Amino acid sequence: MSKETKNYVCPYCGESHDTQDGLKSHVFKSHKGRGLPTAEGRIKLMINKAEHSFLVEPSWTLYYLIHDILGLTGSKQFCDRGACSSCTMIVDGKPVLSCMMLAIECDGKTVETVEGIAADGHPLIEAYVNNHAMQCGYCTPGFVVASKALLDRNQDPTEEEIVEALAGNLCRCSTYPQHPIAVREAAEKMKAGGVK
Amino acid sequence: MKEFKHFNAYSVDEAVALMGRYGERAAVIAGGTDILGKMKDSILPAYPEALINIKTIDGLSEIKESGGMLKMGALALLADIADNAVIKSKYAALAQAAGRTASPHLRNMGTIGGNICQDIRCWYYRNQNNRFSCLRKKGGRCYAIKGDNRYHSIFGGSVSGGCFAVHPSDTAPALVALDAKIVTSSRTIDAEKFFEVKPVKTTVLKADEIVTGIQVPEPPAGSSSAFLKFALRKSIDFPIVNCAVMLTRKDGKVTAARICLNAVHVIPYRAIKAEQVIIGRVLDEAAAEEAGAAAVAEAKPLEHNKYMVAVARTLVKRAILACAEK
Repeated sequence: MSKETKNYVCPYCGESHDTQDGLKSHVFKSHKGRGLPTAEGRIKLMINKAEHSFLVEPSWTLYYLIHDILGLTGSKQFCDRGACSSCTMIVDGKPVLSCMMLAIECDGKTVETVEGIAADGHPLIEAYVNNHAMQCGYCTPGFVVASKALLDRNQDPTEEEIVEALAGNLCRCSTYPQHPIAVREAAEKMKAGGVK
Repeated sequence: MKEFKHFNAYSVDEAVALMGRYGERAAVIAGGTDILGKMKDSILPAYPEALINIKTIDGLSEIKESGGMLKMGALALLADIADNAVIKSKYAALAQAAGRTASPHLRNMGTIGGNICQDIRCWYYRNQNNRFSCLRKKGGRCYAIKGDNRYHSIFGGSVSGGCFAVHPSDTAPALVALDAKIVTSSRTIDAEKFFEVKPVKTTVLKADEIVTGIQVPEPPAGSSSAFLKFALRKSIDFPIVNCAVMLTRKDGKVTAARICLNAVHVIPYRAIKAEQVIIGRVLDEAAAEEAGAAAVAEAKPLEHNKYMVAVARTLVKRAILACAEK
């Protein structure tokens, strides 16, 4: 760790100061109209419809924050390089990979994890069980979250659209043929039952 | 990941000032899908001291058509480019390229600016903890020349030093074929001249310069474009070879052509010979076949990548024929 990072560093231009007062007067002089630096790494997140506030390190990923710090262990880390999608979460309505996002950059975002989808009693959960769209189950939360994001924007997806939407999710047990069946079943159930 | 400082830049000037302060000790982060992987694996000899987040800059994710050109901010998401109705119809090769990049989730994160600025994927270069100190890291030699080079350049190494790592972008060849311009914080560069091979660098960008947008001129009347990609898997994979073609036709004959292959050379490879073959010809299977052969006429593959020559030849042919269908 370099010496510079231990000092008081201006969050707007990176200039470092020995004291907090020095930093304050610099911000006041050079970045007029900008707020004085707040506690570094303070973020607010809406996770599964509940507000949370965290103090995060720059090197924490969104996955680490939610899985290891908050303790929602449904999302799984497998490749940790953005290649397998087992850590998929819905951020601001879009399915993304939480292992390749820095928590510090997620301030103000809305996050939905597999726990939130289960708590809502989403028909996908039952459809996945009914069709046994899993074997070891490690990739399943990622698939369910990606399928939920698909059903949010397309309530009646064709098999082709389902395959395309799940194209980034890997399953080492090769349960691929079961997923479109499960997602179709959930979609049918939602149509019939008027579930959201 | 090791510790680093993190800055949110709220304007291009702020980002440039931060980069000026940190120079090569800082890295820019947009979608993060490339840089975070590099940091997690510690592939480079030097670890970035600071990340400068440019996602906080307003107005850089716009996609609009104005003044006879398509304008995209550097932060425009690959998913949005692939789904954009105007791009799909007028700039087809770009929409197809963006839609074949990585996986659906990564396209919701990755930006067009990041896609053209991404680092190489050579497995020696990317090996964890800087295991192979190769030419591209100011090290002694290229490990691919005598090693496993099945995914390396078939058109020779770089001028300075002999690195054989290919450029992995899917959107880059589409932008070259569509004759796009890359707008940075200080200048405008032809897409074709944007790429450069230097240690730990893939572009001509200076240490305090960021890509802010991309401009694509509206293709002339009678034009059509197409993009094709060959990879082992349909999703997630980087290209083994990809190819973008834009053709302009008048009275059934080709009057202008831009053909660009990627993942076959250290930078996107414009197949000038193939363009010369196809210009003036009626688009048919024989002409496309000839152009494909001309595209790889100068190929000098390594020990394990001779198959890529055949793939490149076929992709050029098929991409030309895909243009003819429109």
